[in-house]
Amino acid sequence: MNRQEILDKIRTVILDCFPDMRDMTMEEDTVVNTETAIDSMGFILVICKLEALFDIKIPQRQWSKLSTLGDVADAVQKALEKK
Amino acid sequence: MRFQSFEEMLSYWAERKENGPALIFDEHGKSSWSYAEFLRRVRERAEELRAGGKTCLGVLADGSRDCVVEIFAAVMAGLQLVMLDENAPEELLRRLIVYTDIDALWGDEDLCEELAPALTAGVKDGKGKILFFTSGTTEQAKAVVLTEQSLCASAWNGGAKLPLQPEDTLLCLLPLGHVFGFVCGLLWGLSCGAAVALGRGARHYGDDCAFFEPTAVSVVPLLLGFLLQRRLTNPGLKLVLVGAGDCPAQLLGAAAAMGLRVSFGYGLTETSSGVAISVQGDPYAMEVCPDDTITLAEDGEILIEAPTCVMQGYYKRPADTAAVLIDGVLHTGDLGRFDEEGKLHITGRKKDMLVLPDGTKLYLPEYEARLMQALGHTELAVILQNSRPVLVYSGEGEAEELLRRLRPAMETLPRGQQLAGAIVVDEPLPRTATGKIKRWELQQKMER
Repeated sequence: MNRQEILDKIRTVILDCFPDMRDMTMEEDTVVNTETAIDSMGFILVICKLEALFDIKIPQRQWSKLSTLGDVADAVQKALEKK
Repeated sequence: MRFQSFEEMLSYWAERKENGPALIFDEHGKSSWSYAEFLRRVRERAEELRAGGKTCLGVLADGSRDCVVEIFAAVMAGLQLVMLDENAPEELLRRLIVYTDIDALWGDEDLCEELAPALTAGVKDGKGKILFFTSGTTEQAKAVVLTEQSLCASAWNGGAKLPLQPEDTLLCLLPLGHVFGFVCGLLWGLSCGAAVALGRGARHYGDDCAFFEPTAVSVVPLLLGFLLQRRLTNPGLKLVLVGAGDCPAQLLGAAAAMGLRVSFGYGLTETSSGVAISVQGDPYAMEVCPDDTITLAEDGEILIEAPTCVMQGYYKRPADTAAVLIDGVLHTGDLGRFDEEGKLHITGRKKDMLVLPDGTKLYLPEYEARLMQALGHTELAVILQNSRPVLVYSGEGEAEELLRRLRPAMETLPRGQQLAGAIVVDEPLPRTATGKIKRWELQQKMER
């Protein structure tokens, strides 16, 4: 799966969890784990859905380090490579 | 029942509730250990630890059943026990290992291996000490020295006001590395002979209620909001204990509207958790727990005398201890008032207060709530720059535009208390595990 496909799937999951963000442009450098976009509990929800979708585990110690959409894509990519 | 030790607590219920569950956990489905089984495993592990010759165990608490056994066994074996947050940055963990004289670690194998070079030669006089770290809302984390007696007393204290029954199931969702999670998520249930369901970590915040079907749960306000907004509580849940932070009234109202009995607890790491708790009626009006005496200083600071629950002191920081524990009275740094029924209300935090050049004081929770309301945004904080209050706003926006939107709210304040500027940051504000803003860290960061 290439990076663009991963990014697209992450966007879909985020919009699925937070439909209010449909009008928001989400680029690689968009900060996704702040209150403007997704609060910290909502972020956990997104991570859990991504883990289920990609059948991966993103170590919980890394969660607090994920800030932008690109960071999340990196973490997914890394976890996919480990599979 | 008032217990003096973890062993006494487990033995008592093992005799009376032989086949009733003590711990419920997920092991390819819902499984449980009886009190007798749990006690047997703790005793076995305590024997191993005694034979191991280590003196101070750091537990990277993951909330699993093995983690709980390790904690109880280390105490039973007479080791000094240090409760660590497994999700804390590694550099911080290394510093804490050295500071607290840890010579053995329990937790995730990879992490333990990585941290192993920081291990020390251990400690000579650590028997009976259980160290929890303060949440560090206003300053750097300090290790608070507690004991199993003080933790058992705290659990009894809470149970006396808010008893659970042996038929109850208390869901333990919060990290055990924090004293509120340990006492109100675990010990409260065990001291009442209830079953404690060990939550499966943050990944399962959304479905643990449905999986374990608890009758009671302890949460922080952030988690309560998450559970309520998404309607993730189970029909059998009767009691929600909220603590470790300010809880917005609308959240408590929403919980009550769903038929949940909500109690609000007040306590500190230094008092082994709760000293006052709301039992009925207004969830903000708290009754003082039986072992504690609470008075107010002239400026409204809450002073606590809690001989059975108060800390021995801050680990290796006698000056810090002497500054807050004076003649057996703990000076909390929190502000409160008593209502006409003698119930305690928390009104603010002295340390969450900015003193301005004109002598006036800003109580940050109240001030920030005003800003939050005006902006419809909660991820913000106020710091002091050049002796003037400045907004730190996490999210998208322009500083000038934010200040413009705040103008009507600012106009009602004395000039000296009006915001002098705004800083927009694109990263979350530093927070403790319980959701409080780490003001000290934020101030340092902004000064850099």
